[in-house]
Amino acid sequence: MMKFYEKRKIFFIVSCAIFLIGLVFLVINGVNLDIQFKGGTILKYEYTGDINSNEAAGIVQGTINKPVTSQITEDMATETNRIVFSFAADSAVTPEEQVAIDDALQTNYPDNGLTISESNTVEPFIGHRFLQDGIIALILAAILIVIYVGIRFKRISGLSAGVMALLALVHDCLMVFFTFIIFGIPLNDAFIAVMLTIIGYSINDTIVVYDRIRENSSRKDLKDPADLMNTSVTQTLARSINTALATFVCMVVVLIFARLFGIDSIVVFALPMAIGILSGAYSSICIAGPLWVMWQKHKINHSIHNKVKRKAVSH
Amino acid sequence: MKKINKTTFFVVLIISAAVAALAFLGVGDTIKSAGDIRFGIDIKGGVEATYVPVGLDRGPTADELESVRNILELRLDDLNILDREITIDNKNGEVLVRFPWKSDETDFNPQEAVAELGQMAVLTFRDPAGTVIVKGEDVISSSVITDSSGNYLVQLNFNDEGNKAFMDATSRLVGQHISIYMDEDLVSSPVVQTVITDGGVINCYKNSAQAFDLSSKINSGALPFSLSAKSFSTISPTLGSGALQVMVRAGILAFIMICLFMIVYYRLPGLVACIGLTLQLALQLLVISIAQITLTLPGIAGIILALGMGVGANIIISERIKEEARSGATVGNAIAIGYKRAVTAVLDGNLTTMIVAILLIIFGSGATLSFGYTLFIGVLLNFFSGILASRLMVTSLSYYKGLRKPWYYGARRVEA
Repeated sequence: MMKFYEKRKIFFIVSCAIFLIGLVFLVINGVNLDIQFKGGTILKYEYTGDINSNEAAGIVQGTINKPVTSQITEDMATETNRIVFSFAADSAVTPEEQVAIDDALQTNYPDNGLTISESNTVEPFIGHRFLQDGIIALILAAILIVIYVGIRFKRISGLSAGVMALLALVHDCLMVFFTFIIFGIPLNDAFIAVMLTIIGYSINDTIVVYDRIRENSSRKDLKDPADLMNTSVTQTLARSINTALATFVCMVVVLIFARLFGIDSIVVFALPMAIGILSGAYSSICIAGPLWVMWQKHKINHSIHNKVKRKAVSH
Repeated sequence: MKKINKTTFFVVLIISAAVAALAFLGVGDTIKSAGDIRFGIDIKGGVEATYVPVGLDRGPTADELESVRNILELRLDDLNILDREITIDNKNGEVLVRFPWKSDETDFNPQEAVAELGQMAVLTFRDPAGTVIVKGEDVISSSVITDSSGNYLVQLNFNDEGNKAFMDATSRLVGQHISIYMDEDLVSSPVVQTVITDGGVINCYKNSAQAFDLSSKINSGALPFSLSAKSFSTISPTLGSGALQVMVRAGILAFIMICLFMIVYYRLPGLVACIGLTLQLALQLLVISIAQITLTLPGIAGIILALGMGVGANIIISERIKEEARSGATVGNAIAIGYKRAVTAVLDGNLTTMIVAILLIIFGSGATLSFGYTLFIGVLLNFFSGILASRLMVTSLSYYKGLRKPWYYGARRVEA
């Protein structure tokens, strides 16, 4: 039996330290919403040869008279150059304007083989609705899961099980959120998808631990909540680690491939997912379990305290 | 589980192999193979645009949106874009259009297509010489009515100017055709029977669908608003197909690694888990290709995650069997107890994941929606392949004398 409950302070400190690092980055970088949520336009062109980023931005700005920033990225693996034009939410580009930009760029850079590889325009109000729907889905998912856990784990005092599972979920969501912040990945719909997946994964891990606690709760030798939890977590440890590792390795493989082939949309999906999976396993073992024990111990102390009080009154 | 015997394993194995063959090879046109899955525009390249009405101080009605769909259908026909999806969102008053961008169309300009699609349709009534008699803006509305003998008629309501022009034209053109054009497409060409003074009817429609179609096309030309593409994205075919290749390769490598790990670590139940996972994957691909669900990159991520959940379920079960085998239970008992005890954890885990997937389907849009669908299907299939099929196989194998050593189920050699 491993002493998870007794080491809880170390676990809490580790998590808090990571949160603190995340907070520092949050203060420095701020929250960077993708145009999917805040609105605006992004145009990505592939080209060969040399193009001056500022000059190209000047041409675009001169054509449609809207402020633009441009950035050039070079992909070593595929040997393609890419120039990205970004427009803010209040100066999103209409399809007609995009045709004009296309024409202007082709005239100015006839030998660079400019081809549009990706374009994305989002009106701010549609973006806000996406974000709102996503957040509603997240909150509802969390609430429904807590209710489900509460009902299914009545025997190990459902409310505390549900609430502690929720705290573990919040822990993992924060980890995913800070991954986006620390790596400077703009929040987009992949963010919502990753968050929801991690909620599903994390609760899965927590449930396996709770399931064992429920099964062991009838054992006479495990009256103390700390012993009960430590024993149950130890028994399910191999499973927790193996599952987390298997899925983590899957995501890392996807991440490496996406990185090698320069598919950014998958990189920004796989990286927070991989970290979320690790966090999900960690929080179930090191956070949800000890917290549940703390609640149970508090309840026992409280009822003893009440009994003493009542005795004192009756005498 | 009394009906399980030594051959059960091979029955399940053969079924799994057949399903896998079906999924990857396909049978004729009815059951399409994995290669013919309908991919989203983020994989095959294409255009996605959300059109909203402009210059409208109220939300568009359902009828108006239906008319918008008609215009867009007509225009996409003109552009020879047949493989398209037009979705009407009545709640938000929007029309979502998706169409692919084929790799052989080098001169295709997606931005231009998006701009053209959004322009207002111009409805005109023209005489045989091609001169415009009445324009769409003079049409107030059009509706379908039935006459006393049950024929369907399309009724037209003009404003004053339209009425006058229509009366003049019909008095001039009795016995000749008046043609109705949407942009430059001929929609209908009825013969003028009498002078029409107050609105008009176009008759001789045998079925209601034709009449409603014409009426809605006329209405669409009379739309009080034009459309603007407020959100749109385009992805070139090369970028998308590159992403697909990366996902498929990564998926295959990850699958092989997981199978190796399962077999080395959990031995016999691990091997069975791999067969179960193959079955789950093949079934999932079959469902997607048969139901013609559009598969996007997030959708593929959903499949991978559902497989991850499947691995998780198998690990719970195998771990439990191993535990029972190590504590000295006979192989038969270890399997029976292992499954019985592991099932509650797998069930709870899968159900909570399904709650998440359902919420994604309800609240998701675009990318998250596709992710929700594949995750839901995958987890559902996991009940079948991860619990039922794998249990049948493991139990059946344990009936073979040579496979009854506890070591095969994870017990330590010394204890065997």
